[in-house]
Amino acid sequence: MNKSIELVKKLEGVQTVETISKELNVKRSTAINIAHKLRKEGYLENWMGRRKRLYKITPKKNIRIGNPGFYEILDKYSRIKLIVPYEHRVIGKRLTVEEALIRAVKTKNIRIIIVSLELFNHIENWRLLSKLAEEEKLERFVGALYDAARTIIKVRRMDKRVRNKLLKGKVKRKHLLLSVKSKDLKEIEKRWNIYLPINKADLMMYKEW
Amino acid sequence: MVNLENQQRLFEDIGKRLKKRTECFVIGGSAMLYYGAKAVTKDIDVVFDDKECFDNFLKILKEIEFKVKDPEALYFGKENKPALMERGSERVDIFYKEIITFKLSESMVGRIKMVYEYNNLIANVVSPEDIILLKSATERAGDRADALELIKRFNVNWSIITKEAINQTELDKPLFVVFLYEFLLELKEDFKADIPDEVLKSLLKMSEKEMVKRLKKKGGFVK
Repeated sequence: MNKSIELVKKLEGVQTVETISKELNVKRSTAINIAHKLRKEGYLENWMGRRKRLYKITPKKNIRIGNPGFYEILDKYSRIKLIVPYEHRVIGKRLTVEEALIRAVKTKNIRIIIVSLELFNHIENWRLLSKLAEEEKLERFVGALYDAARTIIKVRRMDKRVRNKLLKGKVKRKHLLLSVKSKDLKEIEKRWNIYLPINKADLMMYKEW
Repeated sequence: MVNLENQQRLFEDIGKRLKKRTECFVIGGSAMLYYGAKAVTKDIDVVFDDKECFDNFLKILKEIEFKVKDPEALYFGKENKPALMERGSERVDIFYKEIITFKLSESMVGRIKMVYEYNNLIANVVSPEDIILLKSATERAGDRADALELIKRFNVNWSIITKEAINQTELDKPLFVVFLYEFLLELKEDFKADIPDEVLKSLLKMSEKEMVKRLKKKGGFVK
């Protein structure tokens, strides 16, 4: 146990079999065994990487409580990845994609909003989305962001009744973020009678992935 | 004694009963349970930065048959004592903004590592560095052993600890740095904790400065 903690402290961060072997000055096969042992004790988990396997090693034991939280849902569905500020888990219920999308808009964080646009492609219950948007007085923003998402990525068609409902929605103020307006999504802004804090150039991130 | 499962069950129950979204900060042994650094804890320590949330939390605990306990027995002669609630072997220490000689700071909130959502109860788990800082403020039986375990287990970022000590001084908690220095010195000398000498030196310097300031204020310092 103590030996494992020493190893974990030395290897904390993102590693590969090669970096483990270099760091500890051991053979590749020994590095694989060490990784296996640390995984068994809950200090190591696989972390992204397609061609090469990446390991995330942390002294915090891998105790997974509850269901995926906001950042995990964003990470699962969006091709643009975020640096997660903290681990978020939901206990006693499952956070739906609809809820995650509304939370993303509520953060008023431009990067999170851009990343969340891909969630529109995974909406299963448009009525729930509309209901949640109504509760937060974000209906027209959600509608406008949907249209903005359609300019850059392939997105599922929104239910017409829901779209009409969103169009009639109330908002607290026309700006989502301070007094920021879009430079080139003016048509969408006009249609929904609000101002978006993003430009087409911001959405080009989707083309890079 | 409370383990992670008991703690989860209690938070879930409270979260379901709370009518409004209530954020709390989980500190001490309770936070260590989430890190897997401890299997059981004597008490559940939570801090609130909103009075309404603090009151609602207390109200719910009373609803689920927790009884009020006098904090004097545990925190004798200390300032900013928590509200103590007990039900059988479960005890909850509830602080409001201040934890004995320590003030919940914005920088500490910014270092939150995990957030668990139990319906309307949002539990923010503080970082290992902040657990150590808070252990030095509460100084109860077992706090030294817990801090030692965290130092052994984690690559503690000591600059966070010294920066927060300065921050606490600025937040009108001048004595915190003195307690922190004594706490860490004892850990190093008696328990052989791996604490860099520079950290202790800079804390000693800050402590001396604060003590001189305090003596000057009280008029007990003669040049």
